[in-house]
Amino acid sequence: MTARASRIRVWDLPTRIFHWTLAALVVFSFTTGKIGGDWMDWHLASGYAILALLGFRIAWGFAGSDTARFARFLRGPRATLAYARELAARRHPFVAGHNPLGGWMIVAMLAVLLFQAGTGLFSDDQIATQGPLAARVSDATVSRMSSLHSIGEWIVVALVAVHVAAIVAYRAAWNVRLVGPMVHGRVDAPPGTAQSASKPLWLAALVLAASVCAVYVLVEIVAVR
Amino acid sequence: MTKAALAALALATTATALPLAAQQLKPEAQIHLRQSTMALIGYNFGILAAMAQDKRPYDKAEAERAAEIIPHLAALPGRFFGEGTESGGHTKAKPEIWKNMDDFKKKLEHMQNEVAMLPKAAGDLATLKKQVDETGKACKSCHDDYKAK
Repeated sequence: MTARASRIRVWDLPTRIFHWTLAALVVFSFTTGKIGGDWMDWHLASGYAILALLGFRIAWGFAGSDTARFARFLRGPRATLAYARELAARRHPFVAGHNPLGGWMIVAMLAVLLFQAGTGLFSDDQIATQGPLAARVSDATVSRMSSLHSIGEWIVVALVAVHVAAIVAYRAAWNVRLVGPMVHGRVDAPPGTAQSASKPLWLAALVLAASVCAVYVLVEIVAVR
Repeated sequence: MTKAALAALALATTATALPLAAQQLKPEAQIHLRQSTMALIGYNFGILAAMAQDKRPYDKAEAERAAEIIPHLAALPGRFFGEGTESGGHTKAKPEIWKNMDDFKKKLEHMQNEVAMLPKAAGDLATLKKQVDETGKACKSCHDDYKAK
């Protein structure tokens, strides 16, 4: 029973880089949006980068390494509830990769950020900045999208707050460190836990390149300047 | 009455006549007028912003034309936030305006001070860029608090 815990890799390099780049860009987008003025150029550029990252992560959720796959970490309501009950009993069942609650958080975060970046494409701040696709749709749509974009801002803030609070809570109440593994990719696992299989880096680069191209087409070619 | 006194009276009457006229406008007319002036400010400022963002080639004559007219337009919307105009039409003006009228007027003045510098700045693309940035921030500081999204 006291066999040594083994150290295994749970997060591959692309997923880790994705995570920290996205985190930085979300903060940057929020800040530049708040300052306004000349910074709006950067706000838009940051939004495009986020869109490309989201495209990468969604594709990586199907074609990527084990722990990055949706099929691996999206669990049904019963399993999710069972996991939550364990937490409530102050136990922490080991899960290599996203636990069931965390898995749903990933989906929520990706969906909300996609919503935010997507509405931004069609928004107009009625000062000096228009999303690249605003000229493509009716003013009524632009107005609706702009409203949704400013509501979405606070949904993103709320989700980030929950995300950070969860990290603090895991450390405080269950003594689980989550930040370190997202940096170096490794956790202590019960003996015999299989190491997650990583897909090659070139595949990640290819997926990212495809996503960047798709965003480029959307904001530079589909858009009317 | 002397001619001078008459002239002074006439001048005093015209000086006060305009704000009074605005006061007497129906609320819906005021809402219409403030939205119209904001739309025209937006149209002209949009031209300057497009040049400042290199989305449209800098054209000195066109920049100066747009920049000259904005301060005149910017003097107008402040008149049309009278009583009874908190709602109606498709106003996006927030009720907070009438709760913080002093702050609202301060922000309006700040915007007017910034746009007053546009005509001089428009003569050169580098100065125009800087002033569009400052003006845009002035617009935003008021919109953030007082314009529904």
